Amino acid sequence: MFDREDDVVERVIQQLRRPVAIDPGLDARVMKEIANVPSAKRRAWPLWSLLAAAAVVGALLITRPWTRDAQRGPDTFQFVFVAPQAASVSLVGDFNDWDPKRAPMQTAQGVWATVVNLAPGRYRYAFLVNGVEWRADPGAPSVKDDEFGTPSSVVTVGGRGS
Amino acid sequence: MIVAALLLATQVAAQDSRLERLDPDTRSAVSAVVDSARSAGLPAEALIQRALEGATKGAPGARIVAAVRRLTVDLGTARTALGTNASGPELEAGVAALRAGATPQVLTQLRTVRRPPLTMALSVVADLVASGVPADSAAAAVLALAPKARDADLVEFRRAVERDIALGAPPGAATSVRVNAGALDNAYGVGSGNTPRPPSRP
Repeated sequence: MFDREDDVVERVIQQLRRPVAIDPGLDARVMKEIANVPSAKRRAWPLWSLLAAAAVVGALLITRPWTRDAQRGPDTFQFVFVAPQAASVSLVGDFNDWDPKRAPMQTAQGVWATVVNLAPGRYRYAFLVNGVEWRADPGAPSVKDDEFGTPSSVVTVGGRGS
Repeated sequence: MIVAALLLATQVAAQDSRLERLDPDTRSAVSAVVDSARSAGLPAEALIQRALEGATKGAPGARIVAAVRRLTVDLGTARTALGTNASGPELEAGVAALRAGATPQVLTQLRTVRRPPLTMALSVVADLVASGVPADSAAAAVLALAPKARDADLVEFRRAVERDIALGAPPGAATSVRVNAGALDNAYGVGSGNTPRPPSRP
């Protein structure tokens, strides 16, 4: 039984080992087809990939995300001050030349608020109530070295993961 | 060329229309100080803002000039301690830390243990002192945290100390406890991911 199976296997092996006759013109036809492919098509992928890579590198060089922490632009900060009896409140500080006209705060039932863009740095500021009364921000560190006899606060905008 | 640049800078300062809010004598004196500081490479904008603060607050001219002169001297001290590469915001924060009681040596040491910018670290020293923390304790705490802490971590640290103080803890003890807590649970390490993010609020 095993001898018969061995004979079959042996015949299959011999059949597989027979050299296959290939048309001698095949190589020439294949090379001719390759030569007929338009050159732009063959270069399209590497060219576009180079352009894409250049664009990515250019964008990285322009935006420089690895230095964003140290040299980032302004952040938006909302300043809030509760003064139900006030007729007007202005936010004044190092970020607006201490000019009350530049940062009038808007009120909603006595809660005064405004939004300011601040670049990294340390800023002194205060609230000017009714145009005459200086008030510090109760929710922020106070300035200890005030030289003008009125309360002020300080806000620090950091540059490293803040 | 340097002389030309200095002359140009002087003209720019002299033409700064913002200083027109000062009376003529005060404006002249402040402009001279600002020009001198600018020539020395100090951040003139900080001096202008201090003068404008005084003007808006109705301070006498002599007090405004004195404040600007004092700030110029302190900016110079801060630059000596932090190095000539220190940025304007770093110098201003350095002045705040110095005025809070930190020594110039603390500023120099901070420069060596933490990569720039140092603005937040220096500010936290000043802010802690303003909250009642002894200057040496505030400086030691920030120096301990500075090598690894992010700015956000330092802000959160300051807030935690302020909360503890508001709840009745002695300022010095609150500071040391928070520093040790941070060291134990590594809450103030880079990329720990455990530190709460502060809201967009001073």
